[in-house]
Amino acid sequence: MVVARLLNVLALLVMPFLLTGLINRVKSLWSGRKGPPLLQPLHDALRLLRKTSVYSTTTTPLFRIAPWVFLLTALGSAVVTPLLGAAALASFPFDFVVFAYVWALGRVAIMLAALDTGSAFEGMGAAREATFSTLLEPALFLVIGALCLSAGTHTLSEALAPHWRAGDGSLVIWACGVIALFIVLQVETARMPVDDPTTHLELTMIHEVMILDHSGPDLAAIQYGAAVKLYVGAALLATLLNPWAGTTSVLSASANLALCALLAVVLGTVESLIARLKLRTVPKYIAVALVSGAVALLATAWRAGGLP
Amino acid sequence: MRANAAHRTLSASARSHATHRDNSVLTSVLLSLPVLLLGAALALGLRSNRAAAAVAVVTQGIASVLVLAGIAGVLRGGPTLVMSWPWPPPIDEIAFRIDGLGAFFLAWSLPMTLLGTIYAVGYLEPYFAKGRHGGPHFGLLNLVSVSFVLIYSAQNALVFLLGWETAAVAAWLLVIWDYQKQKIRFAGFNYLVSTHVGLFVLVAAFMLLHSKTGSMDFGAFGVFLAHATPARPTIFILLGTSFALKSAFFPFHTWLPRAHSAAPAHVSALMSGVIHKAGLFAFLRFTLLMGRPEEWMGWSVLAFGALSAFFGVIYTSTQRDLKRLLGYSSTENVGIAAMGFGVGYLGWCWGNPTLALCGFVGGLLHLFNHALFKCLLFYAAGAVYRATHTIDLERLGGLAKRMPQTAALFLVGGVAISALPPLNGFISELVIYAGLFSGSAPSASANMALVAVAAVLAFVGAVSALSMTRAFGIAFLGNPRDAGVHPAEEPPATMLTPMALHAAGAILVGLAPQVGLALIRSTIALFPVGGSLDAALAPLEGIVWASRALALLLVVAGLIRWLQGRRARRTATWGCGYTAPSPRMQYTASGFTEQFVRVFESFLPSARREQLPTELFPQQSGHVSTHHADPVEQRMFEVLGQGEDFVSHTSERIPEQPRFAFAAVLIGLFLIGALLLGGGRPW
Repeated sequence: MVVARLLNVLALLVMPFLLTGLINRVKSLWSGRKGPPLLQPLHDALRLLRKTSVYSTTTTPLFRIAPWVFLLTALGSAVVTPLLGAAALASFPFDFVVFAYVWALGRVAIMLAALDTGSAFEGMGAAREATFSTLLEPALFLVIGALCLSAGTHTLSEALAPHWRAGDGSLVIWACGVIALFIVLQVETARMPVDDPTTHLELTMIHEVMILDHSGPDLAAIQYGAAVKLYVGAALLATLLNPWAGTTSVLSASANLALCALLAVVLGTVESLIARLKLRTVPKYIAVALVSGAVALLATAWRAGGLP
Repeated sequence: MRANAAHRTLSASARSHATHRDNSVLTSVLLSLPVLLLGAALALGLRSNRAAAAVAVVTQGIASVLVLAGIAGVLRGGPTLVMSWPWPPPIDEIAFRIDGLGAFFLAWSLPMTLLGTIYAVGYLEPYFAKGRHGGPHFGLLNLVSVSFVLIYSAQNALVFLLGWETAAVAAWLLVIWDYQKQKIRFAGFNYLVSTHVGLFVLVAAFMLLHSKTGSMDFGAFGVFLAHATPARPTIFILLGTSFALKSAFFPFHTWLPRAHSAAPAHVSALMSGVIHKAGLFAFLRFTLLMGRPEEWMGWSVLAFGALSAFFGVIYTSTQRDLKRLLGYSSTENVGIAAMGFGVGYLGWCWGNPTLALCGFVGGLLHLFNHALFKCLLFYAAGAVYRATHTIDLERLGGLAKRMPQTAALFLVGGVAISALPPLNGFISELVIYAGLFSGSAPSASANMALVAVAAVLAFVGAVSALSMTRAFGIAFLGNPRDAGVHPAEEPPATMLTPMALHAAGAILVGLAPQVGLALIRSTIALFPVGGSLDAALAPLEGIVWASRALALLLVVAGLIRWLQGRRARRTATWGCGYTAPSPRMQYTASGFTEQFVRVFESFLPSARREQLPTELFPQQSGHVSTHHADPVEQRMFEVLGQGEDFVSHTSERIPEQPRFAFAAVLIGLFLIGALLLGGGRPW
């Protein structure tokens, strides 16, 4: 058990950087470049930590605290996530409610920091983030609620245990869960086709535009926090896909890590091949997650013979 | 007249003191009535504002102590306090009864009104400086407390109505403090009419009950309501409608944003946080009288609550007026509480103690939490108004630098109301989530419906976070948007102290939910649903610890960063290469929700008036103005104002329809009418 916990912590330290590096490598390969080393994000973070932050004269202490709130909430969500396919660091009933609300707290912190700068651009990112999150949260609750009902549990780790072998409509619930969680992952980690993590055209971005004014260790905190969210989101999805999930074994853990890496490759590929959606169509894209969640929920009732 | 009636009850209470020695505890509660009325009379009579305020604060303080001393035993699970004495017909008997439910509401209503009165001293000071007499205002605040004692301890419908009406009229007179302004008189009148529509419905319900029982005593009502009779659904719907109007549920909320934006901040706070909780109290009182509810009642309460929460929160997103925004958020929060009660109804009906307890605990805790953070937010909005003379978000900005304490307190309230951990709003919504996600309903489709409602609650939480981020971010952060706005300064201690106490309450209940649970334990014991409260809430222990750990880490990280940042390098905001940014280029409140409004435009109609420049080199300046009116109110006024047009328009359309459809509708209407009229009788 102690070993499993230590491995979880270790994964939390390394995997976020590795996954971000992997996505960048995949994108480089697709565009015919060699690309930076896989652990470049780690080097970036260390370099930023050695610098000093510069603050706008407009900002209040809130701006200095927000990045660390964001990082703490990202790490907090990782604590209840089965990072290695089973046995999250902490698991208790209704931990998924904490998961969602802790993410919301981090989001609010970053949005307030963006508004704190009085910038002409950063409010735009905050507004978009706030709008998309209003559609994303119900989708997340629908899908996790459906998985919980289907598995007859109240904890995140158990809800993600293998479903599709349970037969009788479980496949539908599982597939809808995969679709919804994939979209949640894309939106929450600011990936194509919702957000563009690379451009520096302020008008097209969401996450990047909110952190224009952060620098030094603050920026490192936000970047590590965002990478942790990426890993947490990927781990959720990987556990759902993992056929050995729910068992504390080397096989399950390595399958989870491999699936996370695979998801990073998929994310990078999607990002290389697909253009960003128009902002007006992003809510419709998120609505796909909402609909999948609703279908998954309907399937739980159908499976139990509750629907005529 | 009304005061006379109150005095009569008082003398009666004094008389009964001699005969009911064993009930000296309840007498202590009722003794608060003459104290409060004396205070009101003195406040009216005294010339000096300072003296009137002092009298109001002191008498309310004494009344709070008397009441708390009286109900302490009940809150700790002691016996219900009962007292009654004969009265000439048609009343027969006047009865007071304080059980756990009444004690819970009394426990915080009077102290919070006291805090509001203290706040009023600072808030109204600029008016006093201009020679305005505040005596009647302070007297009315005392009357509000009187109405709480009457409503929460009455066991007789007439006493209850007396308290109900005292609260309504006192609130109306408090709202129109600035009565010289036509807009404010209109808002007050609007409130007065709405609240009396609710009163008529309530009186209708009481008349029905009286005709069935021949009594005005709640005990007799309870005996009648306990059996499923044909009249029971009608009475349930009448009572529900009246209480929904009182608590401003959607679609009965139209008076609320107007009244809240017109009233002085402490009145808005007390109305939203405390006075209108009487509607939910009355709902629970009659739930207890009724006993085990039917399943359709549970589903309707749940759906009605979800509807209120959904629309209330959607309307918060577009408000420019900070107090209107907070007003709509009241509709949202009573909706959330009602969702809890709906879950409780269903659990009770299905004989599922865990579900019932989660629902009722969540609902009760949420309405208490709402009183804590909503008063705080209104008080902070009042501080902004007092300092800047405006609460129009588009004109504010950068207040956090000039009013750091107010900003910090508003932020606490905003985080709490958005149900974010680790504050109190999160705890109560969590308990409701625990009910909705329990998966223990008797059928799979019921479970599915509950999870779908949970998704609505998640949406409500996210939009609430959007609205609060917008309100706080636009008003307090960034740079001042309008140079014409009065320079801001911190409010006096009389205003900051009530705010700080409310914020402390929100933090305390967030980190130590057992404090909130201690208040509602005796109320929950009244619901005969079985099961143990501690067992039902045991699964949530892990979350409470997680949220405490998060709070600790946040505070530590915040302190470290705050200390480190004091000697940081400072420069201008990065303008992406543009070197002459102005505060006017900041994102606006309307801009912030523009995209959200586009997604939900069917619920958020906007009126746009514009005169845009046309030529290549425009000679005249143009203007654009957008406005989000309340769709329900708009529609209501449309029907009222153009009722005749509406009717003639409809009647014109009739001949154009095919005759068959017309006949079919007529037959359908006849059938529905026949079913409604004959449905109750055996065929």
